[in-house]
Amino acid sequence: MQDFLELAVSATASGCVYGLIALAYLLMIRPTGIINFAVGEWAMVAAFGGYVLLTQHELPYPLGMGIVLAFMLLVGWVTERIAVRPLVEKGAGVLAPILALLGVLVITREIISVSFPPDPLPVPFAVDIQYYKYFVIGITLAVFVAAWLFFEKTVWGRSFEAVALNRRAAALMGINLSRVTAFSFAGGAAVAGLGGLLVAPNISAHYLMGVPLAIQGFTALVIGGVGRVEGALLGGLLLAFAEQFTIRYAPIPGGFAQGVPLLFLMIFLIMRPTGLLKARA
Amino acid sequence: MLHIRDLTAGYGAAPVLQGVNLHVDRGETVALLGPNGAGKSTLMAALTGTIRNRSGEVSFENHNLVFEASHAIVSRGVALVPEGRLVFPPFSVEDNLRLGAVRLKGRLQERYDFVYGLFPRLAERRRQAAGTLSGGEQQMLAIGRALMSNPRLLLLDEPFLGLAPKVVAEIRAALEKLRQTGLTLLMVEQKLDIALGFASRAYVLIKGRVALEEGTASLARRPDLRDLYFSLATAHNA
Ligand SMILES: Nc1ncnc2c1ncn2[C@@H]1O[C@H](COP(=O)(O)OP(=O)(O)OP(=O)(O)O)[C@@H](O)[C@H]1O
Ligand SMILES: [Mg+2]
Repeated sequence: MQDFLELAVSATASGCVYGLIALAYLLMIRPTGIINFAVGEWAMVAAFGGYVLLTQHELPYPLGMGIVLAFMLLVGWVTERIAVRPLVEKGAGVLAPILALLGVLVITREIISVSFPPDPLPVPFAVDIQYYKYFVIGITLAVFVAAWLFFEKTVWGRSFEAVALNRRAAALMGINLSRVTAFSFAGGAAVAGLGGLLVAPNISAHYLMGVPLAIQGFTALVIGGVGRVEGALLGGLLLAFAEQFTIRYAPIPGGFAQGVPLLFLMIFLIMRPTGLLKARA
Repeated sequence: MLHIRDLTAGYGAAPVLQGVNLHVDRGETVALLGPNGAGKSTLMAALTGTIRNRSGEVSFENHNLVFEASHAIVSRGVALVPEGRLVFPPFSVEDNLRLGAVRLKGRLQERYDFVYGLFPRLAERRRQAAGTLSGGEQQMLAIGRALMSNPRLLLLDEPFLGLAPKVVAEIRAALEKLRQTGLTLLMVEQKLDIALGFASRAYVLIKGRVALEEGTASLARRPDLRDLYFSLATAHNA
C-alpha cells in the first residue's frame, strides 16, 4: 500500500509535467492549428536556464524561475515572429510553420549542445526533495486553474477560443489574429519552459532531454484531446500512471519503458482520434 | 462616407472583383444585388479585410481601408454581419456579444442595453449557447454582435436567407429602427422585393463588376425586372 501510494504520487508529479507540455501544445494548436514539436526543446532551454541561474549563479529559486519564464515568453514571441508569421502572412497552410518549427527544434538543440558540456548538469530542487513532488503538483494545478479561468472568464481568453472556432468570424469581431498567435506562442513557450524547469532536478539538464518530453506531452495531448484545457492535464496523468505502473508491475525491461508513451499514442490515435474530452460543440 | 474605386480582389490567380466602383453616403441604405457567384460576399470580405489580395481604393471617412487589417477596420467603425451568420456556437449569447465589442473602448453596458433593446429575444436568452438558438435568433445575434462595436457603417450579407416570413419582418423592423438612428447600411440582398422595398439605391453586381446603379424607385418600375439579371449578364458578355 505504501509502495502504491508513493508510486501514485510520483506518477501524479510526472503526469503534471506531461500535462504542462501538453498544455503548451494546446495553447498554440487551438488558435493556429500549428503543432509545435519544439516545445520539448523549449523545456530543455528552460532547464539549462535553471542550471545557469540556480546552480551556477545560485539565485533564489523564485527569482531564477521568474527570469527563466520571462526569457521563455520572449523565446516564444521571437520564434513566432521569425518562423511562423512570415509564412502565415504569405498565406501558407499549417504545414509550412510546422516544418519551420522542426528547424527551430534542431537549431535550438545544436545551440545548447555547443554552448554547454555534454554531461547532464544539475538543477536544484525548489524545496526539500521529499516535498518536491507536491511542489510540482501544486504549481501545475495553479497553472491549469489560471489557464481555465483565462479561457472561460476573460475576454482575452474568449478571443483565443473564438479564433480557434472560426478565424474569419473572429477577425470580423476585431480580434487581432497576429497578436493572438504571438501571445499563444509566448504562452506556450513559458508553459513548456515551466515543465522543463520542474522536471530538471529529477533528470538533470541535458541537450537530449527535449524529444522524449515532446513525445510524452504530445501523447498526453492526444489522450486528453485538444478541445479543452483540462484534457491536457487528464491526458498527462493517465499517461504517467500507465507508464509508471507498467514499469513497476509489468515484466518488461526498463529500456522499453520509453516505448510505452508511443504505444499509447498509437492506441489512442486508432481508438479515439479526438481525445477523451470532447470540445464543447 | 464610403467610396470604393476600382477595387480588385480575389482568392487565387484570377480576381473575383474586377474593378468595382461604388459609393454609400452617410445615412443612406444601399442594396447590393447580383446572381450567385457574382462576388457580393467577396466584396464584403474585401471591405472588412478578411481577404488578402486586394488593390484599388476603399475610402471610408477619408481613410483608405485597402491596406488595413480587419481589426483596424472594425476600429474605424465598419462592421459586417457575414453570410451564414458565423456566430460562435458553444459561447453564450452574452459572450458572443462581448466579442463583438473587443475593439470598443468603454460604454459596454450601453451597447448591451442597445442590442437587447433592439432584440428582446436575445435578452431572454443571454445565457443560452448560440448554437442552440433558432436560425432567426442566430441572425439577430449576428446583427447584435456587429452592433456591439458601435459601427457607423453596417454591412449585411444576405441577412434574411432561409428565414420564415415572420422572422424576416421582425428583423426588417429592427433594421428600420437602426436606419432611423442614422446608421448607414450596405446590404447584400438577392430578393428584389426586399431590396427594393428597403433601400434607396441599389447596385447590381455581375461577374465582379457593377453592371447597374439605380435608385430603387425607378428600378421597381422597370418592366423587365424579372429578367434583370439575365439581361444584364447577357449585355455584360456581349
Ligand atoms: N474562399 C474562397 N476561395 C476561393 N474562391 C472563392 C472563395 N469564396 C468565394 N470564391 C469564389 O468567388 C466567386 C464569388 O463568390 P462570392 O461568394 O463572392 O459570390 P456571391 O455573390 O456572394 O454569391 P452568393 O449569392 O452565392 O452568396 C465564386 O466564383 C466563388 O467560387
Ligand atoms: Mg454571398
